[in-house]
Amino acid sequence: MSNAILESGAAMADRAPRHGVEELSMQQALNLALDEVLAENPKTLVFGEDCGRLGGVFRITDGLQAKYGTGRVFDTPLAESGILGMSAGLAMAGFHPIPEVQFDGFAYPAINQIVCQIARMNYRSRGTMPMPVTLRVPSFGGIRAPEHHGESLEALFAHVPGLKVVSPSNPHEAYHLLKYAATRPDPVIFMEPKSRYWQKGEVTFDSADPAGSAAGGPPTGAKVMREGRHVTLIAWGAMVARCLQVAGLAAEDGIDVEVLDLRWLKPIDAAALAASVRKTRRAVVVHEAPLTSGLGAEVAQLITQSCFDTLKAPVERITGFDVPYPSGDLEDEYIPNIDRILFGIQRVLEYRRG
Amino acid sequence: MSGRHTGEQHHHTVEGTDPQLYVEVHEPETDAGLRPVLLLHGFSSSTKLNWQDTGWLAALLEAGRRVITVDLPGHGRSGAPEDMDSYSPSRIRADLLQVAFDAGVRPLRDGDPASGLDVIGYSLGSRLAWEFGATQPELVHRLVLGGPNIADPLAAFDLVAAQRYLADGTPIADESTSGLLKMALGLPSNNVFALLSLVEAIKGEPFDPAEAVPHMPMLLVAGEKDDRAATMPELAEMGAKTGALVEQLLIPGRNHSNVITSRAFKQAATEFLGV
Amino acid sequence: MAEISFPLPDLGEGLIEATVLEWLVSPGDQVERNQPLVEVETTKSAVELPSPQAGKVVRIHGGPGDKINVGEPLIVFEVPDNTAGIVGTVPKEEAPKRRVRLSAVLDED
Repeated sequence: MSNAILESGAAMADRAPRHGVEELSMQQALNLALDEVLAENPKTLVFGEDCGRLGGVFRITDGLQAKYGTGRVFDTPLAESGILGMSAGLAMAGFHPIPEVQFDGFAYPAINQIVCQIARMNYRSRGTMPMPVTLRVPSFGGIRAPEHHGESLEALFAHVPGLKVVSPSNPHEAYHLLKYAATRPDPVIFMEPKSRYWQKGEVTFDSADPAGSAAGGPPTGAKVMREGRHVTLIAWGAMVARCLQVAGLAAEDGIDVEVLDLRWLKPIDAAALAASVRKTRRAVVVHEAPLTSGLGAEVAQLITQSCFDTLKAPVERITGFDVPYPSGDLEDEYIPNIDRILFGIQRVLEYRRG
Repeated sequence: MSGRHTGEQHHHTVEGTDPQLYVEVHEPETDAGLRPVLLLHGFSSSTKLNWQDTGWLAALLEAGRRVITVDLPGHGRSGAPEDMDSYSPSRIRADLLQVAFDAGVRPLRDGDPASGLDVIGYSLGSRLAWEFGATQPELVHRLVLGGPNIADPLAAFDLVAAQRYLADGTPIADESTSGLLKMALGLPSNNVFALLSLVEAIKGEPFDPAEAVPHMPMLLVAGEKDDRAATMPELAEMGAKTGALVEQLLIPGRNHSNVITSRAFKQAATEFLGV
Repeated sequence: MAEISFPLPDLGEGLIEATVLEWLVSPGDQVERNQPLVEVETTKSAVELPSPQAGKVVRIHGGPGDKINVGEPLIVFEVPDNTAGIVGTVPKEEAPKRRVRLSAVLDED
């Protein structure tokens, strides 16, 4: 057997759909998802600052340039406006760009391209120029990084008509949500919780969501990560893991907490919120972003809309503060911690009408 | 004065004028309790190029030494004064003395390892260090002279040819002059006209090592292939005649421009001064 | 374990290449961030390059006298997978600590 056949055989095996369960870190799960997307769709391109030769500052694109060549996986200049402007042009020309802005705070220089071009080109062209752009944004705080490296931009993006926004909370979600996002015909802002890149978890390849839910279907909507009767904690990204910890602690006190991973931040799964809170009648929403005009307000309103008559307490919001994201040393004071979330639960538990 | 060559720090005026020298005092994480080390860079170089990028500053700080760096006039981040006098070696030595006192250097005292000052010079900086050591015996404890030369190559610099070249591109016949000017022009941080002022001032006060010979221990270091430092043994002999301890070190395979990063050079200097 | 390769960095002043003078580390060495790696010489000056990364040296490129172009591989490190990020630090997974206890009378009305 010649080497050529061996190699193509290896590549074929690599591209075959995966089955079963594997223990992966989120970084590995995202890397695998990109690898498969690149293999499955020749129109996909992966690029950004250090995404090519270095494989990304978080190694998310590690090895992809070697595998798919510099024509499909490449480095860009340090100019986010250029990265997203080019993405718009590539999408117009029939490609499916999967650009990365290296850190959340670096998305600001590209707001014009994201908001004024990518988000509305399909609308502007009466549906003749869809923008299948999957923008990966390492997001949120928690890694003791300097300024511009710990921001939560979900409310900003969710406010823009034409954009979808999604954030995975663990390796399984990361794999399935990225594969799903990268096949959408619309622009998706994919917010990766960078503080969770290294934690491992089981990835079940065959189906995104467990049997019994919207089984086997695409990973749309929110997802119940832990069932409970007394109060619903709503979170996304890195805060889901923290809320699961809180639920474990609350159980010690006899409080049964349901944890809902919102996953999609635009559009928000209002039906899932309604279903959970109709049952628990209490809700606490948790996010790292500042309080004012944060997505917690949107979530609270959606719950109030559907559950006003049965709610036992106003929806609590446990969030970051209305200040610029602080330097690493102050991060633990800023990001909602276990005690602040427990206090929020206590407040909705002890609330009495009148 | 404006832009890059405006001095960034002002301490004292010396002889009535501000030398516009950029001085930094670098504190080690763990202080070895020894006297500070003053670093004097070469012609057309700077603290950054001669000492920082080459790893000297880090090595000395690692050894627990407090380090004083100064950019010579017209070099690095120092100002480029208009007057010729600011560039004369005697004036620079006076400025260095003020810099040392401003940085808290105190005269040598028996039994006090923190008193006095060690000086490391390279090339032109070695000439200045030799003269500084010879004229400040109460202050200077030990000297390390890198790429030293018994005569200052800048004294033979063909200033007229250089100025003609800068004016209309007339080729320079003298190889040494052409090489030095090329080096000076190669770095955008250099103010070439200030550097020519320095050359002119040096011509007015050429190096005469015999005029004043340092009496403190000296380490002379050069690359084996350093033509500019071929006269190092003569300097060593001159120093030894005063009864001072003089050590010489030749670094194999290195020349005048690349001996500076040598680990052996740094180690020898750090050990020589670590007493 | 992951491998990280670092190319010869842009040394400024429009320089496109450098000559290796002497390596200060060898394959197998564990180096710290900012530890001197190698002395190189350009047409303008000689410099000592500090390590951009902590890790174990896997390979070095070029011996004394060899020229390396800016952007060509200089050194390859091996680092644990979970320190392969370049900015920030990997958060520690710790058992949750709490000070707040919940108390509630849960009337199931």
